[in-house]
Amino acid sequence: MTVSAPPLLAASALSFYRQDEPVFGPLQFELHPGQLALVEGDNGSGKTTLLRVLAGLLHVDEGELHWRGEPLRRDACAGEIIFLGHQLGLKGDLSPRENLRIAAGLHGERDGQDPARALREVGLAGYEDEPVRRLSAGQKKRAALARLLLVPATLWLLDEPYANLDRHGIALVNRLLERHVAAGGAALVTSHGAVSFHGGEPQRIRMHA
Amino acid sequence: MSQAPLGRACAAVLRRDLTLAWRRRGDIAMPVLYALIVTTLFPFALGPENALLQRIAGGAVLVTVLLAMLLALDGMFRSDIEDGSLEQLVLAPQPLALMLGMKILAHWLTTALPLIVIAPMLASMLQLPSTVIPVLLLALALATPMLSLLGAVLVALTAGTRRSGMLLALMLLPLCVPVVIFAAGALAAAQQGLPWIAPIAWLGAALALALVLAPLGCAAALRIALDA
Amino acid sequence: MSSWIPLWLHKLGSPPTFYRFAGKLRPWMLALAIVLGMIALYGGLVLAPPDYQQGDDYRIIFVHVPSAWMGLFIYGVMAVSAFIALVWRIKLAEVVAMESAPIGAAFTLITLVTGSLWGVRMWGTWWTWDARLTSELVLLFLYLGVIGLYHAFEDRRQGARAAAFLALIGIINVPIVHFSVNWWNTLHQGSTVRLFGPSTMSGSMIWPLLTMMVATKCYYAFSLCSRVRADLLALESGKDWVRQIAAEESAR
Repeated sequence: MTVSAPPLLAASALSFYRQDEPVFGPLQFELHPGQLALVEGDNGSGKTTLLRVLAGLLHVDEGELHWRGEPLRRDACAGEIIFLGHQLGLKGDLSPRENLRIAAGLHGERDGQDPARALREVGLAGYEDEPVRRLSAGQKKRAALARLLLVPATLWLLDEPYANLDRHGIALVNRLLERHVAAGGAALVTSHGAVSFHGGEPQRIRMHA
Repeated sequence: MSQAPLGRACAAVLRRDLTLAWRRRGDIAMPVLYALIVTTLFPFALGPENALLQRIAGGAVLVTVLLAMLLALDGMFRSDIEDGSLEQLVLAPQPLALMLGMKILAHWLTTALPLIVIAPMLASMLQLPSTVIPVLLLALALATPMLSLLGAVLVALTAGTRRSGMLLALMLLPLCVPVVIFAAGALAAAQQGLPWIAPIAWLGAALALALVLAPLGCAAALRIALDA
Repeated sequence: MSSWIPLWLHKLGSPPTFYRFAGKLRPWMLALAIVLGMIALYGGLVLAPPDYQQGDDYRIIFVHVPSAWMGLFIYGVMAVSAFIALVWRIKLAEVVAMESAPIGAAFTLITLVTGSLWGVRMWGTWWTWDARLTSELVLLFLYLGVIGLYHAFEDRRQGARAAAFLALIGIINVPIVHFSVNWWNTLHQGSTVRLFGPSTMSGSMIWPLLTMMVATKCYYAFSLCSRVRADLLALESGKDWVRQIAAEESAR
């Protein structure tokens, strides 16, 4: 049989309303393993809302979402999707290492990965035991990015991953994305800045049709 | 790649909340201090007559502990919502109800347990006979988890709103009326030398039910409240 | 998802259909409520004989008891529509649940006020911790909690869903409160005079009571229809059918 594998994530006629005002949509896209999608649109065009819908935090009003060919159910894709939003999900009173340990406790760990190593890779060596609230905005972002390295997930949903990062940080995000996609993962990234991605031309999802 | 086992996830959540509470141990002392202040005020308001204080002691300690817990209830999910940790918890591949159960347990350990520890002192400040104190502790040990569990569901419901302090009290009152009645009923019976086991048994049964249902309700409420 | 709901229910659940249906129902309900209410009041205040023990004081039950029934009945309606709203996400059910709450709260308040007025004559005090009055007070707090939670949200539909959940918790709580308050009352040897005991009630007292019960139900239906209509217009203000109605109204 030469039936091609169903896409990891497929959206058809996906719309979202808030108090009957359309926030976005209808949107149509497919995301296959090994693919990166950039969500493009102006401020207020519903990029963040789209990511929250895909993560399962918001209820789908109209249209359909399919995960590996099946209608998306929260328990079916649990643990395969990781979401990084504006709020980074880090506790300010805990150190990056402790924060990552919780993430590992909840989501599990990639083989051969541990919090210390993940923090080294995102350039936070030496800050492992500093309370997160004392870190700079960019360092906090890096600590949150370390979670992507540590935790096994197929689909990354990244909301403005480049915000607050310096040149090296931006390069780091690109490197992480390239590696993830090369390993057969998929990612959906929102950004209003230009993205220089070297792993092939990313798919573009425009919020305004 | 390995999925995290359930036990480890529970431990991670519990440990996280206990560590956080420990880093801010000043906050743990607040409800205790509040209960102490309220208890001190009773004799000033009612007069230092031992017989009168003795009569109200059980109920007064109970209501004081309840109000002190209400004070801390509001913050159960507040910081987790603000920094996005709650979203991560919702998205984790673990049963949300169980994870929230762990959070409720941590909250009970850090707010109610200290109150139970000082309850005998509060009770003796109000001249409660020492023979009744074991019953008081038993009643509190059953009533405070009930309040934590019921409160958690309501806090989860208000998670999407800005101001919730007074609203929370308004919502909690009808739910805690039966808890207060049975806990105070046991105390009153014990003080009069009557059998007090029946109301305690009712409390225990209600707690068993709440232990199962409240985390599920809390998870459902949270999904509604986060849908913003 | 909701394919197995009967079709007529599904149709009635659509805001424009219900808006028209409620508009037709409304005047009839109001007329029935007024006529039946008058008959019941005449029967209760004039025709029914005075009580041998309480004299004319007991006549307040013709307002008090139907209000108490309505307080509970409306809570039941609210809980059922809250359940429907949560399970099938039907907008109309959310609106019905949320607009029932203030009406139910009003009936509960009337029950409390009339009970307290009666208490002045019977017990010589405005408030007694009588089991029934206390239960009614708790019921009022349940209503207020639902209303308060609904208005605490910026997003009205989200507020409705959260408050609907609270209403469902409340419906589990109502019998528990009733049971525990009764137990508490016997424990503390409260008042024993009953406003509405199981004692003998003559037929001339019962029929005005039952008529008043129907009248209050009609009033509830009228009030609910009006409130739901207003709410639907506000909620759906961007939709075509609302524009159409606005055009019709202004052309008149």
